[in-house]
Amino acid sequence: MTGEQTIRLSGDADLKGSVLIVAWAEDASSLGVQTADYLIQSLGCREFGEILPEGFFPMGGVNVVDDIARFPESRLYICDNSKLIIFKSTIPRMGWYRFLTSLLDVAQQDCAVKEIYTLGAMISTAAHTVPRLLISIVNNREIKAALEPYNVMADNDYETPPGQKPTLSSYLAWLAGQRGIPAVNLWVPVPYYLVPVSDPRSVKRLVYFFNSKYNLGVDFTALDTVIAGQNNQIARLFEQSPEIKNMVRKLEVGEALDGAESERLAREIAEALK
Amino acid sequence: MGIRYIKEAGLTDPVMIAAWPGIGNIGLIALDTLRRSLRAEQMAYIEPYEFFYPKKVIIRGGELVELDFPTSDFFYHRSGRRDLILFIGEEQPAEGGGVYATGSMAYGMANLVLDVAEKYGCRRIYTSGAAVAPMHHTARSRAWAVPNAANLIAEFKGYDNTVLMSDIEGRGGEGNIAGLNGLLLGIARRRGIDAVCLMGEIPVYLQGFPFPYPKGSKSVLEVLSMALDMWIDMEVIDELARQSESELTRLYEKLPDEIKQQLDRLKDSTVAAAESEDLITEDDKKKILDDVDKFFKHDGGGEQH
Repeated sequence: MTGEQTIRLSGDADLKGSVLIVAWAEDASSLGVQTADYLIQSLGCREFGEILPEGFFPMGGVNVVDDIARFPESRLYICDNSKLIIFKSTIPRMGWYRFLTSLLDVAQQDCAVKEIYTLGAMISTAAHTVPRLLISIVNNREIKAALEPYNVMADNDYETPPGQKPTLSSYLAWLAGQRGIPAVNLWVPVPYYLVPVSDPRSVKRLVYFFNSKYNLGVDFTALDTVIAGQNNQIARLFEQSPEIKNMVRKLEVGEALDGAESERLAREIAEALK
Repeated sequence: MGIRYIKEAGLTDPVMIAAWPGIGNIGLIALDTLRRSLRAEQMAYIEPYEFFYPKKVIIRGGELVELDFPTSDFFYHRSGRRDLILFIGEEQPAEGGGVYATGSMAYGMANLVLDVAEKYGCRRIYTSGAAVAPMHHTARSRAWAVPNAANLIAEFKGYDNTVLMSDIEGRGGEGNIAGLNGLLLGIARRRGIDAVCLMGEIPVYLQGFPFPYPKGSKSVLEVLSMALDMWIDMEVIDELARQSESELTRLYEKLPDEIKQQLDRLKDSTVAAAESEDLITEDDKKKILDDVDKFFKHDGGGEQH
């Protein structure tokens, strides 16, 4: 960093006692960002700040995605009526500790957040027709107990395998725990063949959780329309290709596909949903 | 944020020895062997957060119970005559995600290590790493010594099995020491502290593989023993070296004959390098590396560890 300032906040808001939701841009099926976007749109959230990119990204140019030059963004949104703060961000490439502590400084000092949630997708071999699970990793026992009424799987054991690194969400939850802020990593297993496209059912599972827990009054109509549209597209594919339908049926009953089948299913679903 | 002291060690005229991971983990193995044989106790550590991404998360029953970071620990040993501070870094803080430290984090880490050296009045610091050499793994590794001041040269010229950069054929006394093993020498000089990097030789064809090379570590320990005028128990490092050579020989036997013949030419190269210019050329070296790399990564992929 060449300067001291890492965060820009604008406007004023009554933020005390808010809940912070964190979504990373680089997520399978863009689950985190799509969930954040749905909440932002449904609840009429407004942008109120950002973490500045210097010191966290290499600044060696820009990436071009879908014909558009993309620059790293790390933006904070406030939903005034529901006391939600939503943070949408590109995953920093360096200076992770400073980045996360900057976010936690805002969460703690400016917003006095009472809980933090991170959103993420896990890649699953389950079929898209299977109800979505919601898995949590918590940084303290009290918040684990508070999740019990919401049908969340909360008893997983895991250790980072050799050669891999913990997720940034785990790092954030751990740092939050050091400050006494309860934090939850929420994970939804997404069918692997929806990873390159999108999985609105998983988005709905996450939005439904927040709606239930915090009485947000979210209107699900738009999301249900997207889900119905995706169902129709896949149904049409099934009509054209009984083999694809059979592959999905196999996944529904827990049978494994071979490599060629897995590849074909992913390819044809991606083409059908374009 | 910085150094955390676990205990105040009263030390007399200490010398610091520091090591980080690198090729063959030569410095790290040397120092860890020394630490164990001396039963050195931890005295301090550098807080990891500014330098490292976590390396492991442990989750039990859905609860995040532990997040582990690479360690950067200081140990001490009191001998009554010459005390030691040992610094062992589990990773080098690299901004670009490489193996060797670079950038402001590397500079920051080096300065914290030197802060401890200065606090305890260390007048000399050793770092330790690997010297990639055109040698065979059955040959004895030498130690290359690179001091940060001219007045140290005479001392290291006098030690057995120890060479300076100018003794290495074709180098003309020049070279580069990557990462913190080198950076520490430069920053120590700025602070007026004598420092020497001791690099154990590793065969050129092993530089790209994740094999430890304890024979190189032994050469470093031998120089340290002379420089510190201190007996160092070599039993453990000898055993590690025997195991390593046995494993390398087992892999070597599986190499195609053509590659083995090329590598066999290295058997005498270290000794003869000063006299023979055509024993192994740069082109030979490149071909050997390419062939060995190809064998381990493709043809002999099943044998790679």
